[in-house]
Amino acid sequence: MQLRTHPLLELSFRWLVGWVFIVSSINKIGAPADFAKIIYGYYLFPAATINLIAIILPFVELFTGLALIVGYLPRAAALIVSGMLIAFIVAVSINLARGHQFDCGCFSLSQSDLPSSARQVLIRDIFLLMLSLHVVFFRYNRKWCLRQSGGLMTELRN
Amino acid sequence: MMMIPVKSLCKEIVLFLGLSIGCALLVNALSPKGIALFGDWDPTQGVVTAKAKDMVIDHELEIDSVAQAKQIYDSGRAVFVDARSADAYAEAHIAGAVSLPVGRFDTAIETFMQHYPPQTYLVTYCSGRECDDSHRLAQFLMETGFFNVSIFIDGLPGWQQEGHPIAK
Repeated sequence: MQLRTHPLLELSFRWLVGWVFIVSSINKIGAPADFAKIIYGYYLFPAATINLIAIILPFVELFTGLALIVGYLPRAAALIVSGMLIAFIVAVSINLARGHQFDCGCFSLSQSDLPSSARQVLIRDIFLLMLSLHVVFFRYNRKWCLRQSGGLMTELRN
Repeated sequence: MMMIPVKSLCKEIVLFLGLSIGCALLVNALSPKGIALFGDWDPTQGVVTAKAKDMVIDHELEIDSVAQAKQIYDSGRAVFVDARSADAYAEAHIAGAVSLPVGRFDTAIETFMQHYPPQTYLVTYCSGRECDDSHRLAQFLMETGFFNVSIFIDGLPGWQQEGHPIAK
């Protein structure tokens, strides 16, 4: 079996992405007002959506992260995670391009994610997106899964 | 030919999103740190805020023009209190203002109270309308017993813009 199609590689990618998303959701759930302020700081979202994003997004991160860890419908979970990562990448890129200083709010809400690290945030998100897409497209039997799912383009193949 | 299993995928996605939205709204409604579904995010209308349950933004306490703040400042009847960090205060502050960083309120309030009795008229400020530290400080001060507190919402940037006295 090739390394690319090895279930252990898929498992390690799934766990890593899942763990990152669970960790990043915890602080946001604990301090929604601070997270809303950070979303406002991107200057990208209509006022009416800011609080709703701050309330809902961390729970999407939490549940998809948990699903990736325990292997519950990992294809859909990884697809949602990939969608979120693409959205983060677009948002960070726009602010980088217009030279706007902001706090990404990725993990901590205490402004330790310095504006100068926006490029690092971008690289990290692209890296996570690649891992997440591997999980999305993986079409073989996955290891340690509560509920298996096939790859994006095909149903489960043994 | 390879096909995306759209139907099953949509069902799975709806399951995740439904669960997330349901739990998010429930936890937000029950949590003491929950926020309103819609916040105030227009700086022209006042200080921006997510309207958290544990953070009372009292617009009645706001001084929403620099001219009004300057009038109070010139009358000499108020103590201006800087809610920003000690470093930001050292860089620049309203001349004569006292530093009381909201992040160090618990440790700094005792010294502050030795100098200012509860009936002192206090005007808190921070970095303008996108900063709610002045509101948090006002809230803490009132919980401590100060009953005569106002909040200058344009803060240092507004004050500086009008060319009013600054100290470093």
